[in-house]
Amino acid sequence: MTTLTLAKALNEGLRRSMEDDSKVLVMGEDVGKLGGVFRVTDGLQKDFGEDRVIDTPLAESGIIGTAIGLALRGYRPVCEIQFDGFVFPAADQLITQLAKMPLRSLGKVRLPVVVRIPFGGGIGAVEHHSESPEAYFTHTAGLRVVACSNPADAYTMIQDAVRCDDPIIFFEPKRRYWDKAEVDLMAAGVPLDRARVVRQGSDVTLLAYGPMVKTCIEAAGAAEQEGRSLEVIDLRSLSPLDMDVVAGSVERTGRCVVVHEAPVFTGFGAELAARISERCFYHLESPVLRVGGFSTPYPPSRLEDHYLPDLDRVLDAVDRAFTY
Amino acid sequence: MTEPAATLVRLPRAADEDLDLLLLIRHFELALLDLFGRGELNGTTHTCVGQEYVPVALRRLLGETDYVFSNHRGHGHYLARFDDPEGLLAEIMGREGAVCNGVGGSQHILRDRYVSTGVQGESLPVATGAALHLKRTAPGALACVYIGDGTWGEGAVYEALNLASLWRLPLLIVVEHNGIAQSTPTARQMAGTVRSRAQAFGVRHHGIETSDLNAIRHELAPLVAEVRFEGRPLVVEFVTHRLGPHSKGDDTRPPEVVEHARARDWYGLYAEAHPEQFARADEAQRARVAAIVQDVSARPLSGWDPCA
Ligand SMILES: Cc1ncc(C[n+]2csc(CCOP(=O)(O)OP(=O)(O)O)c2C)c(N)n1
Repeated sequence: MTTLTLAKALNEGLRRSMEDDSKVLVMGEDVGKLGGVFRVTDGLQKDFGEDRVIDTPLAESGIIGTAIGLALRGYRPVCEIQFDGFVFPAADQLITQLAKMPLRSLGKVRLPVVVRIPFGGGIGAVEHHSESPEAYFTHTAGLRVVACSNPADAYTMIQDAVRCDDPIIFFEPKRRYWDKAEVDLMAAGVPLDRARVVRQGSDVTLLAYGPMVKTCIEAAGAAEQEGRSLEVIDLRSLSPLDMDVVAGSVERTGRCVVVHEAPVFTGFGAELAARISERCFYHLESPVLRVGGFSTPYPPSRLEDHYLPDLDRVLDAVDRAFTY
Repeated sequence: MTEPAATLVRLPRAADEDLDLLLLIRHFELALLDLFGRGELNGTTHTCVGQEYVPVALRRLLGETDYVFSNHRGHGHYLARFDDPEGLLAEIMGREGAVCNGVGGSQHILRDRYVSTGVQGESLPVATGAALHLKRTAPGALACVYIGDGTWGEGAVYEALNLASLWRLPLLIVVEHNGIAQSTPTARQMAGTVRSRAQAFGVRHHGIETSDLNAIRHELAPLVAEVRFEGRPLVVEFVTHRLGPHSKGDDTRPPEVVEHARARDWYGLYAEAHPEQFARADEAQRARVAAIVQDVSARPLSGWDPCA
């Protein structure tokens, strides 16, 4: 066991992937010499050279397009988008090329491209640096979308993502980059497309991913003191979605609260609420409730505490789940 | 572009008003870095230390009906347009009196015909649209858009160049070529040159290698008039230097590169050339900014009426 920050765990995972497979490349803005703004690729260019860790110009569309071309020729590019809000110039390459090419070829073309995106707020940054764009990508057939929440998962998930033959949007919870935990560098980890129960409980199921997992675990701790038992599930994979783990939990608890930073309106929680009501209707004691951001641009840093779901907002939803 | 010999030549005297503005921007930016250092500011910011003279030179060439589209490094652009350091600092600090009620922050300012955004390159097509509108409704007015050298990597830049040239639009693209994009030197991210790229679209290019305000204005005045009245888009490329970090504490350049930039700083060059005028103005602007920092820091947080 080694104690690692989430950022370092990703770095170690990438290093392992690059050691294991010479076809793995890292590319993005300032990923080489600087090691990325969050230092996730720190030292990789030094150790693997400029041919495998490529500093690109400011050209998100070019980065993803180039990665697709490389993947067509057998490489496994791992692209970094510097901040969530800068992924949109690459939208066509992601949605129209990367996602569609494998489907259109009925799987004959495989595009093992990983697109890493630091996402979410909480670091006092501004618009474009704090957004949660996951629903744009879960809406796109042909992309896998995953989000890690802790160092141990970060370490195995990034390696699994690199090994996977499908295109993957890999969301990293930027405000948790500095969180530390024990990581077993030999462990295989939970498969990439599985959800995980991170805390067991019997009264309400909390569904979260990325940065909100920690918030939910804290909320469950606080609720316990009030005599409420909350189960917390880290979805890990948003697309595909591990409905068995979700339904298994909700059928036991009968209540469910979904928590994400992205705006509630047509956010990922809407899909979860719909699916749960379709599958667990007769087990539900209350509607599935959603806690999330507001339908506004991400606010300036002084206001982000009002925008981001926190323990109180989660617990308030839990309370409301008992009023039906 | 090659090393500008002109930058080391003695700077001629500038009007008091221009010098005051240059120094206001310099001290404003230094004050921001200081506030960050002391934990008084959140988020991030990009200062234009070393590049102040670019918007100051352009100020006299732009009018109220012109649009200005700024970028992430935009405090100087704003202060050259509006004499409003209080409003800008309040915006950055989220205090009462903020230009945009504190909802925009450092990179997202909207005031009259001035707009900034932090997403690189995307404002060029928008500026092109503003230029099209101006061409139809306010002949003689133009849209000016500031971009860095690194931003020439973005595809949106070329769509805008094509449209502006094809439709003969009054678009002025001001390139602040400071030789680096975050941590990546220009030589590692740009093939060819800004000049040849502009020319490929039939867009005129003019390079500026001095920080002498009068010389810059003299060179640019006839070209800007052509942008306005003949619908000839223009790229003006300033060879300039970023003296500070990209944002805060993230300077990856070797010391000798930073030293090279510092030796070309208009601030030192001007102080040497005109010590008395400089000393007076420098002290006055330093004091002005200090007073503004004190005033704005003491204000209550900004708010707004959502129903207004
Ligand atoms: C589309 C987009 N991608 C990435 C970024 C992150 N970013 C902010 S500034 C910057 C470098 C810009 O370089 P340049 O255009 O040369 O301007 P300078 O910072 O030197 O003034 C980068 C990569 C961004 N703001 N927008």
